[in-house]
Amino acid sequence: MKKVRLLIFLLILVWNLGNFIQALALLNHIFLFAFPVLKPTYHLVCHQQPDKLIHIFGTSTLLCARCTGIYLGGLAGAFALIFTGRKLSLPTKYLLYSSLPMFLDVGFVMLGVYSYSKLIALLTGLLLGSVGIVYLTELIEKFLSQNRSFTE
Amino acid sequence: MKRLYPVLIAGFSAGVFEIVPMAKSLSCCLIIPTAALFALYLEMKSTNRPEPFDISIGVRFGLLTGIFAALFGVTIETIVTLITKTNDLVESFPQMQQMLETFPVDKMTRSEVVGMLKTVAEQIRTAGFAPLYTFALLVNTLIVNSIFGIIGGMIGVKLLNNKYYGGK
Repeated sequence: MKKVRLLIFLLILVWNLGNFIQALALLNHIFLFAFPVLKPTYHLVCHQQPDKLIHIFGTSTLLCARCTGIYLGGLAGAFALIFTGRKLSLPTKYLLYSSLPMFLDVGFVMLGVYSYSKLIALLTGLLLGSVGIVYLTELIEKFLSQNRSFTE
Repeated sequence: MKRLYPVLIAGFSAGVFEIVPMAKSLSCCLIIPTAALFALYLEMKSTNRPEPFDISIGVRFGLLTGIFAALFGVTIETIVTLITKTNDLVESFPQMQQMLETFPVDKMTRSEVVGMLKTVAEQIRTAGFAPLYTFALLVNTLIVNSIFGIIGGMIGVKLLNNKYYGGK
């Protein structure tokens, strides 16, 4: 179980590092060559509107603040799950509750109740990502236990 | 073949949605998982399924939906690009170039990366087709859509089982 959770954490870590590829290119210029490939890849899952990207050390993320929040939340959740030995079983309603702030934020911004805030988008994304990863891990583990040939 | 109808319909719909700019910016990463859920729903309705879904069915449906969405999406985008001779890459090229120009790396690395992008953008502007870009797009889309499809399929199984089979 721990191996699966560690693998999930590592995969999400790689995905998150890709999001910060421009910042990584500051550490090693070789990462900049991945930029032309990664930008369209991340465009598949995010609109990448320039005003909604997170700016850090003079660079920007490839995903918007909300998506960055979701995946960072997923990363934090996946990290915490490595140290939790328990079998996961969370009612679906919690997934809906955790997505509610995000959908409310999207709705309020679209209705003009308040203007878009990167911080709110990031935080609501973090909430959904951290809860969502528990479901995802539960489902992956259930799938693997149903198909033992995958793990044995 | 009939058994593939749900994933073909859902995959085609997702492929079309993925290239519609307005739909894309509103739903972005939800398109493929929703399509996988839709494929499972179609399967349930078309076969009057008596028993709940197994997660492996969700994984299979999600994977196939993702693959078909990628194939349809890239094909449609390639055709549209051939006709219009522009796409997301060409449109965002000046902005990407500007970003790279201000990027604190050495001149040689910068010019190599900009040169790579420029070649592809130029090919699209003149011929409407860049083999390297299309290949990279297909590989990326197949990988990303498959992963998001599997996630959507697994979550879809849980949601449909909860709603229609009493959470079994």
